[in-house]
Amino acid sequence: MTDQTPLVRIEGLSKHFGETVALQDLTLDIAQGEFVTFLGPSGCGKSTTLRILGGFERPTKGRVILDGEDVTGQPPERRNVNMVFQDYALFPHMTVAQNIAFGLELKGMGKADIKRRSDEIMSFLELDAFGSRYPLQLSGGQRQRVALARALAPDPALLLLDEPLGALDAKLRGQVQQELKSIQRRTHKTFFFVTHDQEEALTMSDRIVVMNKGRVEQDGTPEELYFRPASRFVAEFIGETNLLSGHVRGTEGDKVVMDWEGTTLKGKAPARVPGEGQPITASVRLEKLGFHAERPQTANAVQGRVVSKTFLGSRMSMQIAVGDKGDALLKAYVDAETGQSVGNDPVWIGWEADNMAVLND
Amino acid sequence: MNNRPELFRGNRIFLACIYWAFVLYVFVPLILMVLMGFKDSKFIGFPIRSWTLDWYTGVFADAEVISTFGYSVAIAVLSTLISIFVGTWIAVLLEGRKFTGRGVTFGLTVLPALVPGIISAIAFRIYARYLGIEPGMGAIIWAHAVHNVPFVVLVVMARLSTLPKSQIEAARDLGADPLVAFMRITLPYLVPAILGASIFCLLLSFDDFVRSFFLGGYDPTLPVLIFAKLRSGMSPEINAIATVALVLTAAIGIWAERFTRRMNKEN
Ligand SMILES: Nc1ncnc2c1ncn2[C@@H]1O[C@H](COP(=O)(O)OP(=O)(O)OP(=O)(O)O)[C@@H](O)[C@H]1O
Ligand SMILES: [Mg+2]
Repeated sequence: MTDQTPLVRIEGLSKHFGETVALQDLTLDIAQGEFVTFLGPSGCGKSTTLRILGGFERPTKGRVILDGEDVTGQPPERRNVNMVFQDYALFPHMTVAQNIAFGLELKGMGKADIKRRSDEIMSFLELDAFGSRYPLQLSGGQRQRVALARALAPDPALLLLDEPLGALDAKLRGQVQQELKSIQRRTHKTFFFVTHDQEEALTMSDRIVVMNKGRVEQDGTPEELYFRPASRFVAEFIGETNLLSGHVRGTEGDKVVMDWEGTTLKGKAPARVPGEGQPITASVRLEKLGFHAERPQTANAVQGRVVSKTFLGSRMSMQIAVGDKGDALLKAYVDAETGQSVGNDPVWIGWEADNMAVLND
Repeated sequence: MNNRPELFRGNRIFLACIYWAFVLYVFVPLILMVLMGFKDSKFIGFPIRSWTLDWYTGVFADAEVISTFGYSVAIAVLSTLISIFVGTWIAVLLEGRKFTGRGVTFGLTVLPALVPGIISAIAFRIYARYLGIEPGMGAIIWAHAVHNVPFVVLVVMARLSTLPKSQIEAARDLGADPLVAFMRITLPYLVPAILGASIFCLLLSFDDFVRSFFLGGYDPTLPVLIFAKLRSGMSPEINAIATVALVLTAAIGIWAERFTRRMNKEN
């Protein structure tokens, strides 16, 4: 397959559950070998999309095309797609080896081939020692690996993962995130991963699709989403940010000039800029704000007073009161030394136009 | 509890007394029955002056008792197989996809368990004659099976409702069609419930008197035989038969209880 033809093509997918609209006109292409993450708040339709791809739900409208073939009406057992369930769904009455062999048997593989393939995948995921154990005799992380092994064994074109790390504690979670990412790299499989944890999405994905109320909000690389959020929703959902609400003054090349609390600011323009005088919001990340004693040379600069400091170890989180009446607050991260040296005197806060994204609501 | 021992001590002794009174009430008749089976005299009653095993050797040598015992076991096994098959099937239907008339189906399924034995026995008798079913083994099996289906349905449904939906979805996902998923995932999951229900059905059938009496032909089941023997007068022979039946059913019941508990734990 060439890079031009996507592995999965989702065309105008909608799903209604009675009155509830779970998905609305979703269109998406996924390329072979991509690690795509579906990210969004609870109830935004992530699982529904995954279940339609797996064949567990029929869409109300739209089509799913896998490897050039329309699979919309196909039952799960006919699709070359496997899923890692949130509760792992390991079969309790089968050993680890039997769980892994299940999909291979149903593919009609011979005994010797099944054994070879199971052994291969078990040693790949470091499960060799557990072959004859039952799922109940494993730890959470081990079960998670068995679920992954079972889904990978039949060599699916697409692997679906519905919040597979949700049941793990924070420490193990970080470890498994790295593991999962490295497994995906080594197998060159296409992973379609669902999570509502933005940090997890940022660390693992090649590409993130942010969902909101059954629609795609933004689709891009983690960096794009973080530094160039397309909407207020994305900016707020991913990472911490300062949202500055002001009014449009005009445009200057690819920049928007806006009024905010009596100051004129410049930021990167969104796809569609509202007319002059219209309300608009800009987003600037906490770590992009710099502290200066004198007015800095940056495109944007405001004067303010530090109202609170929180020590976070290597860095400090500061709250700065700015604006005419001093009632607008900016949040910033600075390194601990700079943080300590800042006193009660007024400070200048500066940032570049490229570090501030003006947003469509 | 630990910081208020005084308040509870009196209560505890009182409760213990009630408990042991209850145990006595239940077990004294059984113990008396067992004791009389060892009495070396034709008349039931105290005092027991000498002991014997003759009644037991007599029972085991009595061809009629032995064949009746076998007859009862055969009826129990066959009716249980039918109720398990039908009951599991209905339970899977009811727990599966919602369909119209589900509530009514459930109600009708459970009804036979609620009808008083004597009424259902008479109804079976009339219906059997109407259908042209001869009294005898077939008719008894039929009545026992119908009577036992509700218990199977309830037990299997309870178990089925705890099977996570993702188990079946995972099986389908890995290439199993609905039938294969049922055979390889659902059924193994149901085994403890099915075993438990089987034992229960076996004991219900083996113990049944009313239906067997009304629907029986010339051959009596064990309870019917005991009844017939009673009419010709109490004799320690009956106690011996009853004791053997008691020991067997209790053993099966206790074994099944431990076995299903262990299986439930493993799953
Ligand atoms: N079987 C169903 N019947 C009715 N409504 C459903 C069903 N499944 C999902 N929904 C609804 O569809 C919407 C999307 O659900 P979905 O499970 O896709 O959310 P999600 O993004 O996976 O959320 P979460 O992060 O909580 O898992 C929700 O409003 C949900 O209530
Ligand atoms: Mg979900």
